Formats: sequence, C-alpha cells, structure tokens
Amino acid sequence: MSLHLAARLTQVLLALALIQQSLEHLSVSPRNRPLFALRIALCAAVAAGVFAPWPLVGLALLSLVLLTRFQGPYNGGSDRMGLLALWCLTLSALVPSPRLKELFFGYLGLQLMLSYVVSGWVKIVNPDWRKGVALAQVFRFSAYPVAESLRGWAARPRLLLAMSWAVMAFELAFPLTLLWRPALIAGLVVAASFHLANACLFGLNRFFWTWLVAYPAILWLQARLV
Amino acid sequence: MLRSLKLLLPALIPSWNFFDVIAPSPRIEYAVLAAPDADPDWREFRPRPDHVSIPAMLGRLAWNPRWNESLFLVSCAERLVDEPTAHSEDEIFARIAADFPEAAWLRFRLVFLSQESGALVSEVLFVSAPRRREDVAR
Repeated sequence: MSLHLAARLTQVLLALALIQQSLEHLSVSPRNRPLFALRIALCAAVAAGVFAPWPLVGLALLSLVLLTRFQGPYNGGSDRMGLLALWCLTLSALVPSPRLKELFFGYLGLQLMLSYVVSGWVKIVNPDWRKGVALAQVFRFSAYPVAESLRGWAARPRLLLAMSWAVMAFELAFPLTLLWRPALIAGLVVAASFHLANACLFGLNRFFWTWLVAYPAILWLQARLV
Repeated sequence: MLRSLKLLLPALIPSWNFFDVIAPSPRIEYAVLAAPDADPDWREFRPRPDHVSIPAMLGRLAWNPRWNESLFLVSCAERLVDEPTAHSEDEIFARIAADFPEAAWLRFRLVFLSQESGALVSEVLFVSAPRRREDVAR
C-alpha cells in the first residue's frame, strides 16, 4: 500500500467518522449547530478529495475551537484518537518533504500500536486487573454499562477473570503482529471485535469508528518497516 | 489559542492509560423546584434502561447521541470535583434544562459511587445552587 493510498483511505474514514459524530451533535446541541454544520461541509470536501489540503487545515483549526468550546475532548479517548488522526493527516499533507510526510503518517500507526500495548501494560501491573476485580468494578458501579441488566455480570468472577486476561494478553501481544502481515490483519480483526464489544456493552461507538480510521496507517507502517 | 493548544497536546502525545484504575464513578441527580428555597426531591438524571436488546446495541453503533452526551456529562462531573469551573456546571445545567422545559428552578448534585471492602458506597461531592431555568444557556 503506497503512502498516498493509505493516507487517502485514512482521510476518507476520518471524514466519515467525523460526519457521524457531527450529525449526533446536531441532534442534541442547538447552540453548537453552526460549528458542526461547518465540520460536516469540511468533511465532505475531505472525502471528495477537493481543495486539498485546505479542508483538512480547516478541520484542524476547527478542532481547536471545539476543544475550547467543550474545555477538552467531548468524549475522552475516542475524540483524542480522532484529533491525533486529523493532525497527523494535516501535517503529513502540508509538509513538502516525502520523509516528513512518512514521519507524520507513520506516527499515527505507531500510536495505534501503543494504544493497545500501553493499555495492556497499565492493566497488568494493577493487581485488581490480574484478579478480575477491576472489570467487575467496571460492570458493578462505573458509568459505562448501557443497561442495568449488564451490572449482573459483576457477579460472574470466572467470566470476568477470563475476559480480563484475554484483553490484557491481546493488548500486550499486539506489537508481535507487526512481524507478519497476515498476523497484523488478524490482529486488527480481533481489535475491531474488541471495540465492537465495547460499543455494544458500554455504548462507546465513537471508539469503534475512530480506531478503524487509524488502521490504514498501521498497515502502511508495517509494510514500510518490515 | 495557547489554551486550545494545551488542550490538544494530550491528543498528540497520548497516554493511552484506559481503565488503569477504576475511579469513583459520578451520577448526576437533579431536582425540579417550584421556588429556589424548596426542598429538593433528588432523582437520577437519565437513568439507564433495565435492558437494551442486541439489535438496539448494534443500532447505537451508528446513532448514539444521548449516550455520548451523557458520557460528556460524566467528564463534566469529574472535572467539577477535580477542578471546579463554571463551564462544567453550565454544561450540566444546560442538559437538565433541555430535558425539563416546564421547570421553574433546577438544582443538581453529584453522587460518586465506589467500592470499599466489597461494599458499594456513595458520597455526595457537589451540590449546585438553585438556578432559574430561563437563566440556563442552551
């Protein structure tokens, strides 16, 4: 996969993810409608590939306005990955040097890999995660389960222990998938399934779409390095 | 501009420490009042449903605005306790006011749930002053 193709694919996926988020904002937030209507127009231009790179520059500047508006990312980690993808794509599109273009785009792929391995590391060093207690707490009292019926999962310690170790093992092993293309593709399918489960159980639909956005970057990075 | 770049920095150099510790979790409780000095009858704001079907869960992949707004309010609640700002309070009031257009006065409080020695414990960490609904910016 060439840098141009991978970056273009990432741009289109990001535009679609931001349009989906913006439509949600339009439905709940009357006073922010002009900002999100503008974002949809800029995303449409990015997806169509017209006036490049200026719609990306416009989205990057608009992201600063939205960060100020909400005093941070609207939805935590998922919005941070969207911002990272947007700024990596924008900087990669703006710089004239081919090396710098690769550097900025590759940084997105690197961060995607780190998003799994660091998440796995901070869990495995915590005894509560190793014992399955932390995941039980997530189901028992955190704000994330989408239904009260899901809180009953907190009373299934064996299942939660197995789930905890499955998540930690996958996250920590993810860098190994970079050694072999089929392993990386399989790893990304497993990762997408993990995000899908989080979207269903915890309502984190933005994570699903924004992490998919970065997949072309890691596919390109793996081909570039290995 | 400097403030925006400061907010952007954690996205460009992320920590990725999702769920490293399970912190006390906020619940927003609201009260609709006829007068500012009335006794509040606290109720949970936007309680989750008892059950969500699998088709509904999958549908929320594409359309989940209310839930994402509720997650934003969780962030506001955490900020209001960690680093109190008028912004977080205003954002929470705006969403409560939108859900109760007939209310005269509104209040809310933040109840944090945690687990201690196996038991679920709750603690009220913030109680807002009453605010006239028509004074809430939407």
